[in-house]
Amino acid sequence: MTLFQDTGGDPRAARARLADVLSWYGAVSDAAMGNQPGTAVRKASLAVALAEVAQVAQNERTALYFAGFLHATGAIGSAAYRKGEPLTDRNARMAVWDVPARGARFCASVTSLPVETIDFVRWQSECWDGTGFPDQLRWYGIPQSAQLLALADFFVRADDPEEALNAIGLQSGRAFGPDHARTFTIWFHHNAGEVTEVAMPLEALADTTPPHALLDAMADAIDHHNGVNGRWRRIAAIADGAARALELDDESRAQLALACRLFGAGEIGKDIGEDEQFDPLARLGIDVRAANAAAAAEFAQPHATLASAAPIVAMRSEWFDGTGKPKGLRGKAILPAASILAATIAYARLDRGERLEDAAGTQFDPKVVRAVMETAKAHA
Amino acid sequence: MIELHERTRRISPSRLHEILMEYECTSVVDPFMGLPTHLNYLKRHGIAVHGGDLLEWFVRVGEGLVVNDMTYLRDNEVAEIVEMLPGRIYSLDMFKAWEGVFFSEEQCVYLGVWHDNVRNLRSDQQTGLAILGLWRAFCYWLQKTQSPDDMQDIPPSELAWTYIRQTEQWVTPNMRRNTVRHGDVLATMGAQSGDALFLAPPARNSFRSADARIWMWEAWWQGNPYFTIEHAYRDSLLGARAADTPSYARAIASILSTAENYPVVVMQTTEQRMPELEPILRNARPNVRIIAPHPYEIYLVATK
Repeated sequence: MTLFQDTGGDPRAARARLADVLSWYGAVSDAAMGNQPGTAVRKASLAVALAEVAQVAQNERTALYFAGFLHATGAIGSAAYRKGEPLTDRNARMAVWDVPARGARFCASVTSLPVETIDFVRWQSECWDGTGFPDQLRWYGIPQSAQLLALADFFVRADDPEEALNAIGLQSGRAFGPDHARTFTIWFHHNAGEVTEVAMPLEALADTTPPHALLDAMADAIDHHNGVNGRWRRIAAIADGAARALELDDESRAQLALACRLFGAGEIGKDIGEDEQFDPLARLGIDVRAANAAAAAEFAQPHATLASAAPIVAMRSEWFDGTGKPKGLRGKAILPAASILAATIAYARLDRGERLEDAAGTQFDPKVVRAVMETAKAHA
Repeated sequence: MIELHERTRRISPSRLHEILMEYECTSVVDPFMGLPTHLNYLKRHGIAVHGGDLLEWFVRVGEGLVVNDMTYLRDNEVAEIVEMLPGRIYSLDMFKAWEGVFFSEEQCVYLGVWHDNVRNLRSDQQTGLAILGLWRAFCYWLQKTQSPDDMQDIPPSELAWTYIRQTEQWVTPNMRRNTVRHGDVLATMGAQSGDALFLAPPARNSFRSADARIWMWEAWWQGNPYFTIEHAYRDSLLGARAADTPSYARAIASILSTAENYPVVVMQTTEQRMPELEPILRNARPNVRIIAPHPYEIYLVATK
């Protein structure tokens, strides 16, 4: 199954596709860390603006943008945020210290990114006086751009810009180098503390990372984070077989394949995974499933490359009999790919797969249930 | 005004940890450990660490960060370090020589008080943590002499309190035996063994240009404001006997020869010093892999 259509050798289109996948993961990782939506974009934009004030070299500015955008990727799969990790406060804090290094490892795996991105992500939480994490670097051992990223992070998380300015002044010589704090003050007074969002510098992305392979790795990481290792792969295999049996066209199958990789992102910010909370055939969990479906669709919607799968992901909590959520769609109003996705997710969760038949005609389309069961038997 | 170096040695323990994991090393010996925050990181990640250094304050901090598994300083104990205690006689003019040159009169008094209070702590672990916290306060003062308008005036005791209290967070066990040693590189290597030897050898005659914050803090710990770092290095392997290039090369080669039983040797250096160190390492070990994420941070990983 070809996940994405051929770009016809257009490098710009290929880069835009890669950028979409990275942006999606940036937003998902922000949610994994519990950040406000849009934190990554604001942080990246502010870091670049600070770099302009500090007259940082252009290549570093570009890397700084990507570092800001992917700043939280280490949170996905980290013991500090992963589901089912009962850590003491102390151990959780120590696990948080490893998040930047995890993020750096992720950035190192994406060879399309400017190489400087890796260390900016790794050292974004270092403090000037050596009390930061993960490496407790100090003074000029911390790259200037990593300090600018730390400043951007501090500012975008603050409730009040003026208070943030004062707090940064107080931290001069401690969390931030005096020169860097001065850079921030200059930027603040020139821009009245307003962050202007900057577009991703697509031209800096090298054409070395296939987006579909990257998306697969990201979906694996999200499953690991959610405590359901390998789930999307099991679901994708059965869902594609069922889609063939139901004679879905190639485009719908491609969208379904994409949806299989994206739906897990909806659970990312929750304390407990959907699988652990409710029986997949119980009406009791319908609100949770609908909320997760909506969240996953929201992550995918803004990105042209992934948007086609958003309706499928959003409809996976609708019921065949029209009593589902969020819209209460009935029968054929539900996209066939969404029906397949919903039934396959439920099947993959059941200890005894034949129970899926109990939900035929109510929760799921009977034809879909039959196709899923037969495909699953064939796979077994 | 005191000169604070723009370029300090950068050891990235997270990167070092990644390298050690790749080679399945579960213990590491670092005979040039310096401030052992990187050993603290490795310890936290389950690696048994053994460090050594010629400067005593590094070793003392190692007692707090590396050897120490559970002791930290509670609020009342920190309070007894950062302020003058009633009834105790202090040598308030101990650091008077620095007054007006580097520090104010008040700061010099505090340095004397802190010195006496820390020397009176009964636990090695607590002493190490206190030295580390106070060093950060001391560095803040030196930094402030360079950027007086950019940095806040923080009362000495408050600054010291914050930094000492913060050290508690780095105390953690790893269910392994971890050690630090006050001694020359060969003494450390003779006393300990491990899966990997981590070497970040100082440059030839580097003690002459060592960061002021490092040697001044040793002077503080020794209670001697006239202390110079040359005293510590004079009789060491890399001291006066390695003052010229061939002697330095021989000194490094002898370390590598002593390290022949280590499965892995990780040497950290810079692009500038690569031509000097790489041939020595290649002469000692057949397989050398270069990991160079940054010109200031290059790892030569040598295996048998």
